[in-house]
Amino acid sequence: MVWLHNVQRIVRDATQQFSNVEWKTVRPKVVTALKVVNFVCAWHLFVEHVGWIRYVDGPSMVPTMNVTGEWIVENRMISPKNLARGDLITFVSPLDPSRFVCKRLIGLPGDVICVDPMGKYVPSTEHVVIPKGHIWLSGDNANASRDSREYGPVPMALVRGKFVARVWPLDKLTIFRSNFRYIDEDP
Amino acid sequence: MLRTRWREMTSRPALKWTFSTLFWLPMGICFTELLYTVKSVTGRSMQPTLNPDSSVWHDIVLFDRWSVKASRDYNRGDVVAIKSPYDSKLLVKRIVALQGDKVKTLPPYPDPEVKIPEGYAWVEGDEPFKSEDSNHFGPIPLALIDSKLTFIVWPWNRIGPLRKPTLPNPKAQRGPAWRAQKAEVEREERRRARVQVASSST
Repeated sequence: MVWLHNVQRIVRDATQQFSNVEWKTVRPKVVTALKVVNFVCAWHLFVEHVGWIRYVDGPSMVPTMNVTGEWIVENRMISPKNLARGDLITFVSPLDPSRFVCKRLIGLPGDVICVDPMGKYVPSTEHVVIPKGHIWLSGDNANASRDSREYGPVPMALVRGKFVARVWPLDKLTIFRSNFRYIDEDP
Repeated sequence: MLRTRWREMTSRPALKWTFSTLFWLPMGICFTELLYTVKSVTGRSMQPTLNPDSSVWHDIVLFDRWSVKASRDYNRGDVVAIKSPYDSKLLVKRIVALQGDKVKTLPPYPDPEVKIPEGYAWVEGDEPFKSEDSNHFGPIPLALIDSKLTFIVWPWNRIGPLRKPTLPNPKAQRGPAWRAQKAEVEREERRRARVQVASSST
């Protein structure tokens, strides 16, 4: 029963040591730690609800964005009302909840959309009306993009923000503007 | 000058409390957004699991966001809060089927049977006649699942974890409560019978 005696001694020493530590001396350290956690939380809220810079990769938005190596400012302060056709929308992929993707907004609720003009997924004559609360998203590089042609209209609840400007690399600094042109508009 | 003003302001207890609450607010908001939050459930779509007719209060339930966000830990039969695909409002529904499963649908849905695509789930209310669920809007992306309902906080007589319905004791005295319990089990069985679970994910 020597081991039991040893355990008892270790426990007794530990408790004695702990009781020697005074709350007065520990308190400032605890408060500092909590302040650090609080700061991280505030930073998280800022990134989630106001916006920050994001690294992008993947071939689906070529030529607007390169395949790798670009940093882009994201605006998270959006509402379904201020989305417009031509915006670069960031959203959670409907195919995989762990993927965060960016595509261009093509259609708003009520629009009639040709599902796939290239006829790759469905015949190019097929059209749909976008339901309430949904949007139609598509990649700029249609050949290398999984977008609404595959998974249909995307609920606005999946939308997180929109891309505003590219800030890195510096020589390619751009503010993204809508490249939408309505063909029945007067020139 | 400013410093003395500051000291005067913070020496008043009410103001001091307000400042310290504001200072610690980010931690509180993060807790409710990432870990757990408590909300009241309205509507009749989850009867009799939540808001049963016998209750005079709206149920107040603990929503577990952590297990959904961190480990995507949910399964068939779990009660979850989803964001409505139409207007992003939170709806409370039960996951009936996950990707690969085949579901026999209920009336408003156009097709008699659907196979759930990859990354989607089929959700239904426990009370199909009073529920706007997948039978209206079809399978929903898993990313719309916001949190899992785990624990009823109020009313006091139903405090406790949300549990699966169990068969009542056959020897017990039969009354309305006994029959309600039995009906709940049968409802669950009927719902299960409409789902053909994908063979790979068992």
